[in-house]
Amino acid sequence: MTEPSTSLAALVRDRARATPDRIAMREKNLGLWEAVTWGEYWERATLVGHALLALGVQPGDRVAVHSENRREWLYSDIGITAVRAATVGLYPTNPAPEVLHVLRDSGATVLIAEDQEQVDKALEVADQLPQLRHVVHLEHRGIRGRYTDERLLEWDAFLDLGREHAAANPGAVDRTADAAEPDDLATLVYTSGTTGPPKGAMLSQANIAFVCDVLRGADAFIDPPPNEKDLIVSYLPLCHVAERVFTTWFNAAAGTQVNFAESIDTVQQNLREIQPTIVFGVPRIWEKIVAGVHIRMSGASRLKRANFALWMRVSRWIGRTLVARQGRHTVATRLAYAAGWVACYRPLRERIGLSKVRYAASGAAPIAPEVLEFFMGIGLPMFEVYGMTENSAVATTNRPGRVKLGTVGEPQPGTEIRVDEQTGEILTRHAGTFAGYWNNPEATSRTIDADGWLHTGDVGEWVDGTHLRITDRIKDIIITAGGKNISPSEIENSLKASPYVKEAIVVGDRRKFLTALIGIELDTVGDWAQKRRIPFTTYRDLSTKPEVLELVRGVIATTNEKFASVETIKDFRMLPKELDHDAGELTATQKVKRSVITDTFSAEIESMYAGSER
Amino acid sequence: MSTPHDPVVSPPVVSLRDVTLRFAGVTALRDVTFDVHPGELFAVIGPNGAGKTSIFNVLSGVYRPQEGEVTFAGTSILGKRPHRIAALGMARTFQNIELFTNLDVVDNLMLGRHHHLGYGWPSAVAWLGRARRQEILNRRRVEEIIDFLEIEAYRHLPVGMLPYGVQKRIELGRALAMEPTLLLLDEPVAGMNGEETEDMARFILEVKHELGLPMILVEHDMGLVMDLADRVMAMDFGTPLTTGTPAEVQAHPEVIRAYLGAGDEIVVGEDAR
Repeated sequence: MTEPSTSLAALVRDRARATPDRIAMREKNLGLWEAVTWGEYWERATLVGHALLALGVQPGDRVAVHSENRREWLYSDIGITAVRAATVGLYPTNPAPEVLHVLRDSGATVLIAEDQEQVDKALEVADQLPQLRHVVHLEHRGIRGRYTDERLLEWDAFLDLGREHAAANPGAVDRTADAAEPDDLATLVYTSGTTGPPKGAMLSQANIAFVCDVLRGADAFIDPPPNEKDLIVSYLPLCHVAERVFTTWFNAAAGTQVNFAESIDTVQQNLREIQPTIVFGVPRIWEKIVAGVHIRMSGASRLKRANFALWMRVSRWIGRTLVARQGRHTVATRLAYAAGWVACYRPLRERIGLSKVRYAASGAAPIAPEVLEFFMGIGLPMFEVYGMTENSAVATTNRPGRVKLGTVGEPQPGTEIRVDEQTGEILTRHAGTFAGYWNNPEATSRTIDADGWLHTGDVGEWVDGTHLRITDRIKDIIITAGGKNISPSEIENSLKASPYVKEAIVVGDRRKFLTALIGIELDTVGDWAQKRRIPFTTYRDLSTKPEVLELVRGVIATTNEKFASVETIKDFRMLPKELDHDAGELTATQKVKRSVITDTFSAEIESMYAGSER
Repeated sequence: MSTPHDPVVSPPVVSLRDVTLRFAGVTALRDVTFDVHPGELFAVIGPNGAGKTSIFNVLSGVYRPQEGEVTFAGTSILGKRPHRIAALGMARTFQNIELFTNLDVVDNLMLGRHHHLGYGWPSAVAWLGRARRQEILNRRRVEEIIDFLEIEAYRHLPVGMLPYGVQKRIELGRALAMEPTLLLLDEPVAGMNGEETEDMARFILEVKHELGLPMILVEHDMGLVMDLADRVMAMDFGTPLTTGTPAEVQAHPEVIRAYLGAGDEIVVGEDAR
């Protein structure tokens, strides 16, 4: 039903020609939502393309973007690919050494940086980046009139370069874009790397075209497929493949309208204002929303609390029924839901900005079933999906009416999936399989085999022959001293389902029993402590309160009941600080780096095993 | 760090000459003389009771000194009422936050625009023409300040509910909303934690660099003063001890004595942090 996609830039250009006045994206600026039409979008992207040509960017070159999500990210991305160069995204939180690694490894010649903060990071390491010729900055605050580095170029001046170039070479960007080949490198996506430095995964125009076809195909994950009426709030880092899919590629391929959150702190408010129809979130985001609802309710009036408690019980029952029936309602659940809609669910969903959602996805990491149940119970169609950078984020999805909780769903259209009989590793194969790691053929050959199967590094199994369940990352599997294979992330997720627990790291490889390091959720535990008049000063202080230890002990006991006795947590220690990306304990996507943690907190870990193994 | 403008060519924004202020026999200020030049960040330091806040109160017209001369914006402001001085372009923040705690952030900032409202109540009631245009313009200015101070997340929250450091930022915002030509900052980081102090220091620097606004800063946090100020005046018991660059003032023996007592060998800047 849909013709095969051409290049990303061509998709944007086609929309600009067909519907120049339709809104492509909106951004809140000085308190007002400002719209950008498709016509303006393509015009800006073309200017970026011309400016890059003026700066001498050639097909195959890499151009880096280091910014929060905003209009210019998309103008740049499309402009870069329009001149057949490749976009390299950086996380806004990347510290200078990681900026150095990505820029040096990718060999980017031009960097588009958001503001003084990101410019500072690049300039700090610029003497080690001889190939970096230009640093374009979107905001001049703090830079104009104070920085003298010759590589700096203001965004407006950059676009002026584009205008001059366009006047002298009319149609140059269009001609370059038309010459695009499916094998053109479109983007390097640096994987967050829980072990070792990030590797640049090469995604081609053909990979992106495959993703676009899957998303808007007849057998897409929702019916009707994403279209011009859908609203999306863009808030997760755009250098991550998942947000790229939901923001840039959906937008270009299906015309969904992108709304940029004002800042990281205002995402909740912006969700409320926009009331998006399609939402993607990582488990951490969904957990935080659930925790926020609980905090808010614990401070509400007695009547409101009673009302909430009642409808939460009903929603749990609805959620469980839906889960048992793969997401399909019964007459009873429909009636109960209708009553709850008036009394609780509608205002609640409006409050969290999710009242109009027709499809919510959770991915990028495993989510606790309790969290999914909460959202399904309040009527939010939420589905767990699975994919990774190396397969362009396309592998499996749960579908409406065919949900199996605890699984990541069925293979996407055009996707072959195998579970290796010996290792249990999940293998995928389709046209979205990446072209390899940039400048790293050894890693590529370890990941893609001769038959084109991508080795995901995840261990999994089939459920009822249709749905895929993921056990864990291969390298994370714990083998106890007794020889038992244990998946730590299932236990960790169960612990993290508690609103009081933010981080849980299960330890026990080659040990006699399992233990855990626990990091509390400062907001919820702080609120809990205040209500009980437990005075505290800092995170560390709060973590060591006997009452808090007792609270965590309770959470662990609840989790232990769900698992076999070898999988129970025998002891725990509190993390004395919040884990931090800057300190190298978390990846840019907030995933825990196990090896760093076990090194940093080895004293705490050893203290739990002291005596038992001597 | 040097003064961006040459003091010889550009006339001072504000100048005090031999200002003496007494309260029933207590001399709060004695012969205070200084100039603040365009774009300059001028700091006043001194122990409690040194007369720092008295200087602010003289400048903003709350106290009238018995002797001396104060000129601001080219005219003498001695004896002028505080609201007249504010209308001349002087804005200040307070040691203890003076915001309307039940109003939200936008409303508090809109109050700072009061001097820029060029319409009367009949026009406001009719909500036509001028009132409407001006309201929209003023609201836009307020949004620019919200953007400048990065307080988007708090826009519609009552100020009383916000953390202390954010309230301080909003007070700075209200002063900026007046579009002043001179800004008085009375202990902007008092009672703040390390991170809040760093944020505030960053904003003060941005006001200086981006808006080029001259400022007088009264502050206890010596580290902050020494990092930010172009020139510093140290005071004790209402009398100026010395005026100069942060390094000069820090090395001045009288300053060390006033702060630490004679014979103490700890360096001022590090100790006070």
